[in-house]
Amino acid sequence: MPDERAVTPRSFWSSGGKAFRNAELILLALLVALPVASRDAFFVDRIGRFLLLAVFALTVDLIWGYGAMFTFGQAAFFGGAGYAVGILSTREAGILPLPLGLTILGAVAASALLALGISYFTFARRGGLRGVEFAVVTLAVSVALERLANAGGPVTGGQNGILMTYRLGPVHRGHGFYLLAATILVITYLGLKRYLLSRPGLVFRGIGQNEERVELLGYDVPRIKRWTFVLSGAIAGLAGSLFYLHEGIVSPAAVGVGSSTLVLLWVVLGGKGTLIGPIVGAVALPYLTARLSGTLLDTWLVVVGVILVVVILLIPAGIFGFLNRERAS
Amino acid sequence: MKRRSLILISLVLALITSACGDGGGAGTTGTVTTSVETTETTGAATTGAETTMTGTPSEDTPIKIGIIADLTGPFTTYGNSLARSAQLAIKEVNEAGGIDGRQVEVIVEDIQTDVAATVDKARKLVQSDNVDLVMGPIGSDANDAAYAEVVEAGGKLLFYTETYEGGKCNELYFSFGAVPAQQVRPLIPILQEAYGTNAMLFGADYVWPRRSFEIAKPIIDENEGTVVSELYLPLIAEDFSELVQEVRDTQPDYIFSLYPAVWGAALTALNDAGLLDSVGIGTIFLGDPDFAGIADLAEGSYTALPFFTVADAPGVQPFLEAYAAEFGEGEIPSGGEGVGAYNAVWLYKQAVEQAGSTDPAAVAEAMVGQTYEGPTGTVEMMPSHHLKQTINLVQAQDGQYVLVDSFENMDPEEDCSL
Repeated sequence: MPDERAVTPRSFWSSGGKAFRNAELILLALLVALPVASRDAFFVDRIGRFLLLAVFALTVDLIWGYGAMFTFGQAAFFGGAGYAVGILSTREAGILPLPLGLTILGAVAASALLALGISYFTFARRGGLRGVEFAVVTLAVSVALERLANAGGPVTGGQNGILMTYRLGPVHRGHGFYLLAATILVITYLGLKRYLLSRPGLVFRGIGQNEERVELLGYDVPRIKRWTFVLSGAIAGLAGSLFYLHEGIVSPAAVGVGSSTLVLLWVVLGGKGTLIGPIVGAVALPYLTARLSGTLLDTWLVVVGVILVVVILLIPAGIFGFLNRERAS
Repeated sequence: MKRRSLILISLVLALITSACGDGGGAGTTGTVTTSVETTETTGAATTGAETTMTGTPSEDTPIKIGIIADLTGPFTTYGNSLARSAQLAIKEVNEAGGIDGRQVEVIVEDIQTDVAATVDKARKLVQSDNVDLVMGPIGSDANDAAYAEVVEAGGKLLFYTETYEGGKCNELYFSFGAVPAQQVRPLIPILQEAYGTNAMLFGADYVWPRRSFEIAKPIIDENEGTVVSELYLPLIAEDFSELVQEVRDTQPDYIFSLYPAVWGAALTALNDAGLLDSVGIGTIFLGDPDFAGIADLAEGSYTALPFFTVADAPGVQPFLEAYAAEFGEGEIPSGGEGVGAYNAVWLYKQAVEQAGSTDPAAVAEAMVGQTYEGPTGTVEMMPSHHLKQTINLVQAQDGQYVLVDSFENMDPEEDCSL
């Protein structure tokens, strides 16, 4: 029997019941409390970076967790925006520098256009690419972009990448940057939640559960998939452009398969299809990596690996996927 | 059901917290602190302690050296060599009474052969640990990132010890590895004598090979040699047919290679095409550990670097013995960054003692002209902030490196004027 709660709006808001509502409140409280509690600018700044990674993870959760479009290429939008910002804002890249605001807008547009281009070839008409086929195309995009970045001569800076010339003004570092990242994360989270409850969002989730059935009901499946994919690309582009401006440098690994795979790990760890899980995964895992790679120099990779294996073996649905099922049963 | 979830979650939490547990707090005692310690702060409770430590340094506060090294990923060999050699020197400095009576504390961070991690760790060392000096990293992309964070944004000293393309110029930046002119100048005449005057320049497509070849061309000219071909392939190419074709078409006497990452694969392709017998090989990157892995393919080739285990200077054996005693039997530093890091720590000690402070600008001024009798001979910090040093030249014979010649006091020929 189909799970009706999964597709009716009211139950989505309360899916997982109190567990999710509580987790949302705790997370929000932590987000607000952190910059107040810590005056350590570096620590706050570092967490701010992870919050932008969490936005990146949300875009993967949107298309994979809800739309069942497994992607190996989301870093094309996140890292691609980094390259777009670099190219649009540096003289070395051979293009007149644009003002900062236009640079970011241009990067978002570039990511959205790239997503549109990919979707044109993948879900152009009915019976477009799905599952493994779609994953392979996104994988190919990742590989191609990484090579392009490597071979781009003075435009992409080759192996060395592009050094950013712009700073984000008063929000470039420390608490200011954290507030910027936290604001974008909260808006993205609420926005995506709202979208998933809207009519097109509902159809999109339906596609994720049973594409044929939604198609037979007369919905324009390729169109909804396309625009949701473009939406995820644009949001990843916004997060990526700010992330790499803050980073000060973007290099080929940013658009590569490695980055695209890492974000999948965060989503799996936190629980795909829960929105809140990927946020936790995208902050927890990079934080753990950053801490351990400075303390357990020889063994940190093993420790992180063991933690991942243990979590995924014990709770394959991820932390929040597990909590969700627990409450529902 | 509910209980099971609680057990699971507490298990995960326990794992995470136990993994996070570090030897916090131990770093402030002024004893021998060569072991790796972190003083990262994670909340308001510890930030107070951090601010007091940034005050005026006194006799009993340690001098902090941060090391960003690639301890995991493709550059592990070089990252280990860098971090260990620096730690060895710091241990010896501490045993000899420290720097100006102050002990040296070292904080090692793994940058994972990754630019993003380099940025993060460089910021941590500069902003959170407030180190006096940052050493590392390995890759020239990571060096760009570290340079921006440590020197430009952080106003701290950056000591880069890897062989690189040269050209960086800043009051607070110092290079201790070899730069192209130092290696190319001795290597070209020997390659020409052994094989002939027609050179092929073959490199990976990034800034180090490209700039090195720009410096090599006039030197080849001076030696009345000819560049018959110049080819760049991606850093990690999968197909070497272009290389094979180019060698067949242009018939060079020797290949001068700056193709470090998958050099074995390139040599295999040349060997499979039957070309290795008819063309000579010279490199400026193949240190002992890398050579050991492809000794049969690299037979006959020449390499110029600051350090080899067969180098013939009185300091080499003691250095190797101390290194093995500290890090295990059979462990050796690789071609350049190790001895560079070792020299860098001792030169830093001398400069701080001469300047009478750890103020970056004062130390930087005192660094220039500083000399030290290192493992491979005398080194001197030039006004260009690059190091005059000994370059050793070896040839692979019967699976072993054999010392061909030693070139003392090789000038970096960098034109940075500060």
